[in-house]
Amino acid sequence: MENIPAVAGNKPLVINAEFIKLTIYNDVGNSANTNVYTFSSAYKSETIDGQAYTPLGGLLAVGVQQRDIRATSADTSITLSGIDGNNIYIALATKLKGSKIEITRGFYDNNYILSNTAHRFTGIVTSYNIGEDLALADDTDNFTVTVNASSFKAVLENRIAGRKTNPTSWQVFNSTDSSMNNIYSISDQNFDFGSPPLKKASTNSAAAQESEITSQSTQFYEGG
Amino acid sequence: MAGLQTIIDYSNGLQIDRRKVVGIQYTRNEIPRVSQTPTKNPWKFTIQMPTNFRYNEARALLEEIDTLDRITPQVITFSNRPEFSWMFAYQGTMSQTAINTVRVQSFVGNQLTLTNLPVIPSSRVLFAKNDLIQIGNHTFPFTSTTQVTRGTGATVVVTTSRPNIITGSVVNDGITVGNACEFYMFCPNMPTYKLFVGGQQNSSNGSLINNALIEWSEAFEFYEFVGTA
Repeated sequence: MENIPAVAGNKPLVINAEFIKLTIYNDVGNSANTNVYTFSSAYKSETIDGQAYTPLGGLLAVGVQQRDIRATSADTSITLSGIDGNNIYIALATKLKGSKIEITRGFYDNNYILSNTAHRFTGIVTSYNIGEDLALADDTDNFTVTVNASSFKAVLENRIAGRKTNPTSWQVFNSTDSSMNNIYSISDQNFDFGSPPLKKASTNSAAAQESEITSQSTQFYEGG
Repeated sequence: MAGLQTIIDYSNGLQIDRRKVVGIQYTRNEIPRVSQTPTKNPWKFTIQMPTNFRYNEARALLEEIDTLDRITPQVITFSNRPEFSWMFAYQGTMSQTAINTVRVQSFVGNQLTLTNLPVIPSSRVLFAKNDLIQIGNHTFPFTSTTQVTRGTGATVVVTTSRPNIITGSVVNDGITVGNACEFYMFCPNMPTYKLFVGGQQNSSNGSLINNALIEWSEAFEFYEFVGTA
């Protein structure tokens, strides 16, 4: 588990700020072609791992970041001021969806000097929302930009990977691969190994075998 | 200066708020857990205004605050009227000439190091608690959180109420102290005003001149415009 000295040992006071790094990939084929935007809740610009985090990015809120001992599929969000036109520009005019978002927490000493940092979240922007809060009764009109991000694990869970069991998919990587050429002839077949292929495993032996497997599985789960 | 400065000049109540952004929790065994976000920690003033302004005398002020609305900052000071000379008055013992020669050597976090100090006895107080200090022309005052004496070194370190929020370099800048300091503020709630019966005056021929008194919808809440610090 990550050890964060700034909060270890029952510290009476923790002075901390959030640092957000948003990496927008402009070209799928060129991972080096990126634009990086930073935001923070600190009182001044700070440099963490060579990256300067400006405090003028208009960070309004950082959503909850779920902390688990094992890797889980947690989401979070960040809310930016829409009064700063640059933030609406980032949402509308750049390839924001799919961007990498990293959240770091910085810890300060009692003299307000950044003394330690801890990485909190890495994920991918899945959606954004530009909201207008118009209250004519109060003569106020405010815009906010909310960026939602999923952790890498959630992204991987939703990813469709591997190959389908048909010749077209099989020959993407090797056009001479004939492994699946006869797959259509056994499509929708149940196999009773040792016997001729049938449309359905309807023999007594197969039925008994299926029943036994089901019974064993039930006992296993009941016993566990 | 006008508008917000006029509000300060005629105020009859001032509430000062420069609390920090904190999180406080109490555990089930009643141990407090405290966190703090190191923000720019702006000054916030809540100013009560009297309701005895005559309409005909306050029209310039009404136009000024309507023009400022809730968005425009202005520089204000508490040294504009002699009646306020006691407020934020400098409590140290440096002469004005000595103050003018002091320079900032560095300002990192909340540690302000000053140099070019006057040759005075080491026990003399340069800054008392709550003394205002302004760096150069940056109208974002800090306060000294401790009493700072001259000492014998070439420099002194002042622990300020908030960290250095000034974006540019302050090295070798001069300082301003006490109520000569200035605040850059706007009024995000800019109160509206109501005209009510009163304020009539007699003319020289004895006839009554119609008028009204001004009542404000709420107190003025000034907020330091730290985005340009």
